[in-house]
Parts: sequence; structure tokens; C-alpha cells
Amino acid sequence: MEKSVATLDEGTTCTSWNYCGQRLATGSFNGFLSIFDSPDPASSSFTATSKIRIHEGGIVKIVWIPPEYGDAVACICNDGSLSLWEEIAEDGQPLQWKLCETFHSKGSTVLEAQFGVIRTSLKMVVAYSDGHAKVYELLDPFELKNWQLQAEIQNVIDSVSTFGKASCFSASISWNPQLNESQEPSFVLGFNSDTPQLNSSKVWVFDQAHHRWIPVAELALPLDKSDQVFAVAWAPNIGRAYELIAVATHKGITIWHVRLNPDLDGRLSLEKAALLSGYEGEVWQMEWDMSGMTLATSGTDGMVRLWQSNLNGAWLEQAAFEPTS
Amino acid sequence: MPDVAADSAASASGGALVPFVPDTEIAVVYPLHHGLKPPITRVSISWARGNNLRVSLLRNPPYNSDSDGEIGGKVVEVNLDSGAADVRESVQWRRIAYGSVTPFALLQSRKNSASSLSKLQSSPSPFHLDWWEHVMEYSKDIKELLGNPKSNYDPLIEDPKEVLKKGEEPTSLKAAWELMEMFYADKLCQSWLPERLVDWLADYDCLLSGDQPTVHSKLVEFQGTLVTLQVIEDDPKYWEVISSALAIGWLEIVVKLLRLHGSYQLDQLGHRETENGLVETVAVLISMMPRFRPELKNGKLGECFEAKPDFMKAWEKWREQITKLDSSAFWVPCHHRQTREGLKNLIQIMLGNTKILCTATAHWIELYISHFLFIRPFTAGLEGMYNLAQKCVQMKPMSSPHKLLRLIIGIIGENTEVVLAECSRGFGPWMVAHAIELLTARSDQADILLHKEHDDIGGISMEELHRLVYAQVLTSHFLTWQIAPVYLTSCMKQGMSLLEFLLYRQPAQHNQLLLKNLEICRLYELDHVSSNIMKVYEILKRILDFIYQMNTPSLVSLSSANSLPVAFVDSET
Repeated sequence: MEKSVATLDEGTTCTSWNYCGQRLATGSFNGFLSIFDSPDPASSSFTATSKIRIHEGGIVKIVWIPPEYGDAVACICNDGSLSLWEEIAEDGQPLQWKLCETFHSKGSTVLEAQFGVIRTSLKMVVAYSDGHAKVYELLDPFELKNWQLQAEIQNVIDSVSTFGKASCFSASISWNPQLNESQEPSFVLGFNSDTPQLNSSKVWVFDQAHHRWIPVAELALPLDKSDQVFAVAWAPNIGRAYELIAVATHKGITIWHVRLNPDLDGRLSLEKAALLSGYEGEVWQMEWDMSGMTLATSGTDGMVRLWQSNLNGAWLEQAAFEPTS
Repeated sequence: MPDVAADSAASASGGALVPFVPDTEIAVVYPLHHGLKPPITRVSISWARGNNLRVSLLRNPPYNSDSDGEIGGKVVEVNLDSGAADVRESVQWRRIAYGSVTPFALLQSRKNSASSLSKLQSSPSPFHLDWWEHVMEYSKDIKELLGNPKSNYDPLIEDPKEVLKKGEEPTSLKAAWELMEMFYADKLCQSWLPERLVDWLADYDCLLSGDQPTVHSKLVEFQGTLVTLQVIEDDPKYWEVISSALAIGWLEIVVKLLRLHGSYQLDQLGHRETENGLVETVAVLISMMPRFRPELKNGKLGECFEAKPDFMKAWEKWREQITKLDSSAFWVPCHHRQTREGLKNLIQIMLGNTKILCTATAHWIELYISHFLFIRPFTAGLEGMYNLAQKCVQMKPMSSPHKLLRLIIGIIGENTEVVLAECSRGFGPWMVAHAIELLTARSDQADILLHKEHDDIGGISMEELHRLVYAQVLTSHFLTWQIAPVYLTSCMKQGMSLLEFLLYRQPAQHNQLLLKNLEICRLYELDHVSSNIMKVYEILKRILDFIYQMNTPSLVSLSSANSLPVAFVDSET
């Protein structure tokens, strides 16, 4: 049933596949970025084709930039820095991975970054350890160096909320994977922090009229609002009248139905469709399949689980995979 | 996920998504072999093509740069479906997948034409009345893909001791398809469904041998010993297999076996005349058995009657002859005990003795068939068939019934959801996506059920859902993703968006793939998708141009994309 597609070097700390699953980027504890390729699209055997040291410390996360903007990755390192690396050819040299840009923030570290392509423009949301998030926009599609800060937000639904200095341990961002360009860009953001107001996942939508990002929905019931969020995943929508967003907290994975049409207050209508529980530990990662019907999750118990809804809308764990030597 | 699908009972009540849905509280746990030295400290996941899930398993990084000489991790790919269950060879599976595209597309096209036509006419269209004939044409094309019927090849010199003809091993997939066809689409066989089932069992009884023997497996076993038997009629197995074959209507085999009886040998005829006469009389009576059906294939025994009164008359006459033989005085001078008892047993089977039929058959379906042949030849209507099946299941319970038997119960139980779930669980997404056309061929009720939009899962109908599921299976394989658009575009509600996601995720750096992608976009008027694809290509082209200038030979796969026809690029950009 399973087959090995790549063998990773000792010290690998993170992996990331590109948009079509034809390139694999890995990061290591000592700062090496490795790229794995397969000889042809029919093959499912990947070998390292390039390896470059990009940092003194370890790489904790790699995210591929959408393919319309070339072969490039964003790397988050264990010192909290974020850098963009692009595969380019210059000065008579063969293809090489070159640094395009580095993002620093005083007094805080980068926890998470995700890209979204909206109406021919590339945007990047970066979440920081102080509970802030910044939205950047690429100014020139051919220059991954030229980023402009579009907005800086705090993950609260009410802008008048006040609280002390936040300390966040992890952040989760998921863009609405829309292909329909008529929709406004949106993403969901949640934190795992010591500040209850920041934690719950909020849906952020770009308000074209006022040119600003606004939180339009909070994906938590009143009693759960302070729950630390471990992972979020926005499902591809191939025709539902509502969006499907999964949010993982220590209570389990909540599946939310978010109606696209905002109410009079500008808030989206929400429905908690399911709470998936019954497993132990923290969820590390959640990934929807291409149809948005199956959710795959991994977590501290080492298991990979698959979740689906039945025709009555009841969500169930359909299968699990237990790694074994 | 291999062979995991909706549980029939649960599906009947709830209806789970296919293809990998045992709708139970406890999920099946599969081992994921990686061969790494434990502990695994991080597991990361990513969806690849279709239903392929890639799992990265990472070990703890070494402390203080002290290497332990082990690899750091593995990425394994898990395929979550098997396309069509029962088809293990990938080449064979692709042959079926590709072969079914044209019949499917043709039927959809006809359906669209019929739908447009019926909108124009206020009265039911004559086209609609003949719809099942189009479905039968479609079914015939699909059946041809699923394997040929048993070989009709007869050797010039027939082996007198070859009881069972050797032929191509049938598949459960074809057996299931034929069941669906006979019950749902084939209007012509509705008046003689029980006899149609007799034929079906004759073709597929061999598939039912599992933990329990079948009449077929008994015959195979007996054939193996046949050459070593000196006096065949002394062997109890001989009479046992004859009874079993007769019980399920394999008349030619019974007659052939009876004529292997020792009394037919020239040197025996003289002193075993009465015994031989009895054997031959039984053989003749068997070969004259009235059958309530329009016709029989060449070489098959029995006399066909299409009209019920004619059949009744012949049946009564035949039974009278059997009763007369049973009470004949010729049994007294027949001194060969095994022959006497064996023939009497056959007579009881022909007279419909339930106890003996039950002993002669192995599975409930065999007992069921024997009821149609010898006790209730007029069983009509699915309700009557279902009640009889229940009775047979009670008489011959099975701990783990074969998937074909579960499907039959679903069909005669008239539960479309159970049928869909059994199709999905037993035969995979290919079967469900294609067999839905059979289900709806003549049944408005099934049509309504399959086209009902389910709000709880985003307003999709079961028909579209099963097509999407199958399309995802197709996209899981590099060699079959190209045919997924045919199924996706037949889903009005959600298929086109899934097609857009699919096209967007195809690698753009490979020339042939790119061309195929753009061709699909043009065919389905997905200009915005092709524009996106071309953006990706343009970025690649910048690199490629540079590589050409530098004459860098290391990136052959990338440079091949440069041969993209300029006209095509221009038109799309």
C-alpha cells in the first residue's frame, strides 16, 4: 500500500512539497536547505538535486511560493528569522538557490508564514511571537525582493481589546484556496499563546472599499475562545454554498461551516459542524484533499488520520495510519 | 485505501461517503511501514495526486552534531484507493479505465440530448421510453471490457472425462456488473429473472468458493479423481456431485456424468440392462426438463417455454413421468445399491424435495437457485424473491458472505443505498460511478434518490459524488489523470471546480503535460485556468531561455518545454 518516495538526510527537521508534488524541499537542524526532484512526472522516486546552507541555526519550516512566481521557498529558522530563497540562474552559472529577501522584526520572532495568490497579486501573511501578523504584497511579480507591507494586524475580533505583552508559542495560517477571482481574499489565523484574546481563530477578509483587513468571524464558541490553536486548514471549495475550515485545539478538531454572505454587521454566519475528538495529544498538521472532502491530520501521537463526512453531515474518522518500522 | 468502503448497514441508515468509508465508530488502523530506527519525532503530511497521501517521517536530529549513521527520515506515499477492486494488474485496470470512457461519454451525450428533447415536448418522449436500450448498449460495451465469457472453444476430440470446460477465469467485477444489468437495465429478462439467475450462477459459482465449498469446487475436486476411478458408480462422491450439479441446473454436466456410469460399457450392457435403462431414463428426463425461459444457449439442455400455460402443462407432464418412474417396478431388479439410491436421490431433487436440495447444495445462493428450478419456478417480483432468499439464508447461514452475495441481497431487498454501498465496498469507485447508469435505467425511484442534492455535504447529489470520487481515483495515477475531466465535466454542480484545481496542480515544466493541460482548458473553455498555467510556464520559460543561452545540459527535462508551439503560447497568453 505504501511506497518510499524519498530518503532524507540525518538531521532533517521539516519538509514541504511544491504545488504539483514534483519537488520536495527539506530543512535541517544545521541550516541546510535541500531540494529533491524526480527525473520525470511519472516517477515517484525523488533524490536530492541541490543542497545549500542558508542559516547557522536550524530550519523549522519551509513554505513554497505559488508557482506563478517561480521556484522559490520561504524558510523560517529557529532564531525566528524569515528568508525567501529563489532558484535562479545568473552570471553564467547553472541554476542556484539565491537569497531574495529577509524579514526581521524587532523583539519578536516569526512563527508562521503563508502565501496567497489573489487577482494576480501575491500576498504573504507572517505571524509573529508577539501576537501580531503582517500582510505583505509583492510589488513586481518578477522580483521576489520587492515586498510592501500592506497591513499589520492583531488577531482580535474587537479592535478595542487591550492586553499586556503577548507571548506566542506557535501560529497557524491558512488562506482561502479559492480559484474564483470574484471573491475577496481571505485567510484564517489562530495562535497558541498565553493571551486568551489572541488564540481563537479569526477569519480575515480584505475590505476592498476601505483597503484594509477586517476580522469577520471568530471560529470558537464563547467558552472555547481562549483555547490555544494548534493548526488551521481552509478547505478547497468546489461548489459548496459555505466554506469549510478545520481548527485544532486541545479539545479536538472543530469543523466550521462559514457562509460566504456576510450579515448586516459584516460578520460571516457560522456553524460548528463537528468536533472531532477521541485521539490523544496535539494536532501538528491538517491538510484537506483537492476536493475538500477528506481531511488528513497528524499529531503528537504519531498517527495519521483521515476524516470524512457522511451523507448526513456527520464527521467520522475513516481510517488511521500508524508508523511502524 | 484498499478495499475499505461504506458498511452496508450503516450506509442504509446514514449513507457514508465513498470510497474508503467503513461507517463505524472505530476507524481501521493500517500500519505504515517506513523501516526507520525509532523514535519518530515528527510526522508531516501532504496530498499528492488524487488520493495519494505523502507522509514524511522524521527522526530526532542528532545532538551536538554526533551522527549515529542512520538516515534522517523517509517520505512514503500511501495510495488510498484501488480503482476497481478485483483488478490487481495495473495494466488491466488502465484498460478498463480507458475503455469505459467512450461508452460513458456517449451515454452522457445521449442523456443530454434526451433531456433537451423532453424539455421541448410536453408528452413523454419516445426516446425516454427506449432509454433502457441505450443503457443496455452501454452495458454491453462495458461488459466486453470486464473479460470474455468462458471460452466456447470445443476441442475436435472431446475428452469424455472432462466434466468442466476450462475457460478464462471470470472476475467478480463482471459478475457484479451482470447482476446489476439483469435486475436494473435489461427489460427483456424481467419475466424470466429466476432462470437468468440460474445462468449467472453457472458462470460465476466458481467465484464463491472461499471458506465454504461450492458445487463448482466439488466438481473440480471430483474431476481430479475421475481418471483414477475404476468403477465410478461405486464412489459415493460420484452420486454426490451429480446431485449437486442437478440441484443448480447444470443439466449437461449431470447427463455427461450419468453416461460415464459403468453400465454403459459394452461388456457390461448385457448383465446390467435394467440398471442401464434406469440411468438412461433419468438422463433423458433430465435433458427434457421444462424451462420457463425464451431460449437456451447452444448445447444447454432442457425444453424452453415462454408462455406460462405451456410451461405449466409441460412441467406437470414431466413431473408425472418422474413420479411414474419413481414408483416403477424396474427398481427391484436393479441390484447395484449405489446406483439405485443415487438415481432415487436425483428423482427426489427433480420432485423438489427441500431436504435433499438442501443437502445437495453448499451456499444459500445454490439452494436459492434450486428452489427456482424445482420448487418455485414461477417466483416473480422482487418481494417474492427476497422472501425466498431470506428463507435460504436461514437454512444455510454463512459467517462471512461473499461480496457478490451481499450485493444480491441488496438488489432483491430493493435498497438502492445498500446496493451502492456494497458496490463501493466490494468493487470500488469505478464500479459505482459506472453502475449508477444501470441503477437509474428503469427506476424513477433510484433516479430521484441519486439526483437528490444533499445539503449536509454541500448540495451534491450521490451520482455526482460517486463520479467525483472516481475522478479522484483517476487523478491518483499519472497515466489516467487525463481521462478524469470526462467524469468531472459530467458533474454540473462541483465537477468543474475540481477540474480547475486538478489542472492547476499539474506540473508545467513538462512539455507534453503542459500541452495536454492547455488542450483540456481549451476543450472546456477554462481560459482563466490556462492563463494561470501559462503564467507558471512563462516564469519557467525565462529560466529556460537562460539555460539555452548558457547551453546548460543538466536540465533536460526543463529544456524540453521550450519546444512548446509558439502559436499555442500566443493564443493562451
